[in-house]
Amino acid sequence: MMLVEADGKALLRAVGIPVPAGADAPGPWMVKAQVPVGGRGLAGGVVRCASRAEVEAATRRIVGSRIKGHTVDAVLVEQAVGGQERYLSVMVDPAGYGLRVMWSAQGGVEIETAGSTQTRLCPPHAAAVAEALADLIAEEPEAWRRQVADIGRALAELLIERELALAEINPLFVSAAGCIAGDAKIVVDLNAIERQQSIADLIAARPGVYADANRKLAEGFDYVELDPMGEIGLVTTGAGLSMMVIDEMTARGAKPLNFCDVRTGQMRGSPVRLMRVLEWIVAAPALKAVLVNIFAGITDLSEFAELLATAIDRTPALRVPVVARLVGRNAAEAKRILAERHPTLFVTEDLEEALARVTAL
Amino acid sequence: MIGSLSRETPVIVQGITGRMGRTHAALMRAYGTNIVGGTSARTDVREAAGVPVFATCSDAVLATGATVSVAMAPPHETLAAVREALAAGIKLVVTVAEGVPMHDAIRIGRETRRAGALWIGASTPGMAIPGEIKLGFLPDVCLRPGPLAIMTKSGTLSYEVGYRLAEIGLGQSLWVGVGGDPVKGVRFADLLPVFLADERTRGIVLVGEVGGTEEEDCAEAYARLGAGKPLYALIAGREAKEGVSMGHAGALVHGESGTLASKQARLRQVGARVFDSLDAITRACGQDFHALKTAR
Repeated sequence: MMLVEADGKALLRAVGIPVPAGADAPGPWMVKAQVPVGGRGLAGGVVRCASRAEVEAATRRIVGSRIKGHTVDAVLVEQAVGGQERYLSVMVDPAGYGLRVMWSAQGGVEIETAGSTQTRLCPPHAAAVAEALADLIAEEPEAWRRQVADIGRALAELLIERELALAEINPLFVSAAGCIAGDAKIVVDLNAIERQQSIADLIAARPGVYADANRKLAEGFDYVELDPMGEIGLVTTGAGLSMMVIDEMTARGAKPLNFCDVRTGQMRGSPVRLMRVLEWIVAAPALKAVLVNIFAGITDLSEFAELLATAIDRTPALRVPVVARLVGRNAAEAKRILAERHPTLFVTEDLEEALARVTAL
Repeated sequence: MIGSLSRETPVIVQGITGRMGRTHAALMRAYGTNIVGGTSARTDVREAAGVPVFATCSDAVLATGATVSVAMAPPHETLAAVREALAAGIKLVVTVAEGVPMHDAIRIGRETRRAGALWIGASTPGMAIPGEIKLGFLPDVCLRPGPLAIMTKSGTLSYEVGYRLAEIGLGQSLWVGVGGDPVKGVRFADLLPVFLADERTRGIVLVGEVGGTEEEDCAEAYARLGAGKPLYALIAGREAKEGVSMGHAGALVHGESGTLASKQARLRQVGARVFDSLDAITRACGQDFHALKTAR
């Protein structure tokens, strides 16, 4: 999961990598939307301001807007800095079982298409990354080469100690007066969070920005809100199948509200998890229907049907039609149970039929 | 090694006295997998799921000659479980846990490679050669011997694909869940030569997800290896939200990398057939392999 820039910069600052001064410093300033996506500048989420009045106007304009599916609830205001732009990153290399260090003498937003980056694959040790980077920056002027090397080493140590997937500085401003991280793109590993308290604290401190991650950490399963004005709530299991259902529904012109992997195997006879999901779903203002999709390889669907019926009983605010597609172990018995307890529920074993039904509502 | 697994292959289950270990050891045995033993930290249990329980992998391997292990260990204990398996001389280890930390996975990858062993996982339901062997917990309702080899990042989405194909009479020659984590054992591109060489396999089904570059890497390998068998691909996550992991840690899109468009384009360039829906991939396989359909 990607951190917003302000949190990424807090991690950089903590390991001694220089970042721009804050809003209290003299201008000009940058006002930057704090959403965990790339391309904020092109989406109007990054503005350079010459006066305090401009800062306030930009802040008012950006906060509350939506960028790539994320509602902006905060901006970072900091002193604008200058210098030549470079690109520096260290990341986990999945296929190479190591760390990949990347360097480019041209920083900026076009970096991914510019084709000017140079990379090295290293064993997972900071010393190896530092050695590889020294090679990549050999052409850099003496005036800042040493400081870039120090920043690279600190970045590698940060990645290893905090178990990050990616630590990227783009642009890294370089000049004889010093180097400063203009941006910070940090991707954390939520699977390591139990032993990374400082990352857990950052996530807990922003319940709005990291709503999906906080929900996952608190509840033990995945629920991602896709569109607050979504019309179809999903109670689904399996990450891949849930994504596919969302893709197919969207292709048919429907507006799914959420992604979800409820993990029926972890419910252990309690309807609480289903009640939580239904509670979030019924809070959506544009809700039209709920689709339940469970492919039960191991889970006994008759047990699941009882839990679902109970969860619906205990969610009085649920007033939209529910379509349940249940296939696998004991599907017939599940259908009988639901027909008895909730006769208005539409139950089928066929996903195509369920999708057609729910998108027609 | 994957292609030559059979009902004879001796398999142990690490963590066999746990809830999952016991359940799935029994289900694997019922399917026909030659489960010869298991390991557990519990010293009071001598037998579970009808097979002997050992204190360590080394003891289990010495007593049974097992070459394969299915590790039913929690995510933060998976690294230790794999190390124990490798030290015992296990040649293929399947780790099913969801949530193995990425930096642990780097170590597992490096150490299995150094040991000359294979690793499948993590975050996977495992693999199967229908009619022969099942390692993990792929649902029996989807498994059926036949001509298609499935490689997949997602458990559930592959269940849906396998189930629909089985319903129309098309079973599987091999089925390997590589798992939904970014850092993993066997990857799509590693499986491709195995599937191409496998005599039972007539067509290859790739079930992918946004994030990472495995689909693109597999496309490169497909072009390089000569595209000897048709490749059908279904990739989920067109509507994935940028910057957020969609359930699987590996299903994370940031910037242009890992997008559906990149994966589909690369696969199409090398001659794979890429589909946007479950129905479309099922119908295409049904048409192309009509002559190979079998009745249940």
